[in-house]
Amino acid sequence: MDPARLLGPAQIDVLAQLAVATILLGGIYALIAVGLTLIFGIMRVVNFAHGEFLMLGMYLAFWTFALYSVDPYVVVFVSIPVFFVVGLLSYVLVMRGVIHASHNVQIFTTVGLSVVLQNVALVAWSGDFRFVRPWHLSTVLRAGSTTFNLTQVVAFLIAVALTISLVAFMKWTHAGRVMRATAQDRDAATLMGIDTDRVYRLTFAIGIAAVGAAGVLVAPLYSVYPTAGLQFVLLSYVVVVLGGLGDMLGAMLGSLIVAAVEVAGSYLFGTAWKEIFYFILFILVLVFRPAGLFGQRGAETLGV
Amino acid sequence: MSFLVRSRRGALVVFGLAAVTPLVVRDAYFLDSLVLILLWGALSAAWNVAGGYAGQVSIGHASFFGIGAYAAALMVTRFGRGPWLGMLVGVVLSIGAGFIIGFLSNRLKGPYFALSTIAFSQVLLIGVSRWRGFTAGGEGIPVPFRPGFATLGLGHVGWVYMALAAALLCYRVEVYLERSRIGYQLAGVREDEDAAEALGIPARRLKVFAVTLSAALTSVCGSLWAQYVGFVDPTYVFSVDLSVRFALNAIIGGMGTALGPYLGSILITLLETYLRATFSGVKTGFAGIYLIIYGTALILVVRFVPEGLAGIAARLRARRAHA
Repeated sequence: MDPARLLGPAQIDVLAQLAVATILLGGIYALIAVGLTLIFGIMRVVNFAHGEFLMLGMYLAFWTFALYSVDPYVVVFVSIPVFFVVGLLSYVLVMRGVIHASHNVQIFTTVGLSVVLQNVALVAWSGDFRFVRPWHLSTVLRAGSTTFNLTQVVAFLIAVALTISLVAFMKWTHAGRVMRATAQDRDAATLMGIDTDRVYRLTFAIGIAAVGAAGVLVAPLYSVYPTAGLQFVLLSYVVVVLGGLGDMLGAMLGSLIVAAVEVAGSYLFGTAWKEIFYFILFILVLVFRPAGLFGQRGAETLGV
Repeated sequence: MSFLVRSRRGALVVFGLAAVTPLVVRDAYFLDSLVLILLWGALSAAWNVAGGYAGQVSIGHASFFGIGAYAAALMVTRFGRGPWLGMLVGVVLSIGAGFIIGFLSNRLKGPYFALSTIAFSQVLLIGVSRWRGFTAGGEGIPVPFRPGFATLGLGHVGWVYMALAAALLCYRVEVYLERSRIGYQLAGVREDEDAAEALGIPARRLKVFAVTLSAALTSVCGSLWAQYVGFVDPTYVFSVDLSVRFALNAIIGGMGTALGPYLGSILITLLETYLRATFSGVKTGFAGIYLIIYGTALILVVRFVPEGLAGIAARLRARRAHA
């Protein structure tokens, strides 16, 4: 590029647009990632099936919209209790038995869960790409030189509100304190009379509720299909590793970084290549900063 | 072939039956199942070299499979050379990729390593899908059938022996890892890396060695698979499902046992064949139903029989010896 063109008024407009896109995307990624980082931080389980719960959330949005024409942003609030129950069931049926097992057992249990959920969706709803197109998707907002659509803005606002309430819940409620205590030291928490099984159950249910709600939120912005979760789960791992596994504020910052890489990558090289950037970023982060950008508590349990 | 006799009788039975069957049975459908059992078994055995013996559990082995498959297919269609040369190129490339993954395994453990291997296979998937000019992108490449050994255009019987050769090669490598000095050292690294290093075992080098060896074997089987099936496309050969499948056979059969991957392959491939016959009327249902069962099997096996079929057999033998 010609250096003289680098900072003309047109380029500043482009930068502003990219910055807005980054923030909007980052807010949604944050909601996906906080659930994952919560489950990891407290249960020390890396949930490979996380993306599949997101996919189920997308289908919930699709079906309620297609059958009853309910707006996804109304469904979001219904999805939270629904996925809370889904999370509880998954914990009781699948996760409880492997919570103290080796990493390999946990990896393959959650991988198995992911295969099952993906294919239940495939059998029940076929592999077709489906779309949720509420009215607000075509409503364009303008602020200064930047434009964006209403759906993105609403999704961003709801995602941020949910993420902040989750962080507040963890910080100021008794249940949140109990959960953080368990994260810090499982054994000591048990000695203090904390029922760790109950903590894990609650953690998993909250984490799944967060990602399920995120699925409903992103449904209008992406196509819905049985393996839709994969790209998001890999991305949320990048976020979570960047921010430090188990660190919720780190996850929020990590989301912005990943969103920035994605937005800049698709602007400079075209959207076809955008995924490749965060995978490469992922491998680089794993190799050079496996404990996250700010170091990480609990890293030693994974031998990093 | 003395390694067959020296090891357990089970292997002799499995591979012996596979060798004799084509002499007796001529049914193409049956022989096709046999080829697939042997190829999936060989692939799982190759996975087992890294996952079972070295403890480096990868969910990205489809990377090496895809490299092998594409190298053979492209060598035939783009360069007009034989698939054997493609297989060789695939092995060289996979050794390179195996070095990278092996290097990652020195930095990362458990879930982090598994995640990095998934990311690696996704990078290849995206790269091959987008590089249309060379790889034909998402459409995939049909591999032409030209009769003859040099072009790997074999009949069903020929393919059984080709797959058997691959299976024996991978099995031989596994047996080597059970009986050699390197194998014992790897077991030490797998069980307690710090202790192994304290004893002067070069843990890092050994892990890279095991992952690279595993990658090369996987690539060889990938090349064979491409020629056998006659079609490669990126979304299948680099898929996470495929990587899980390699691991699944080995886990169900028994991780870190030489015959385990083959036992797992027999069970899973027969299950797949049976379900395909049962649900052939259902259009989209088959693949899904089969994978639901396979995912459920994975969850149940790692939880209740983590030592796999080979482990159950050993337990029964021990009980009988005790009685």
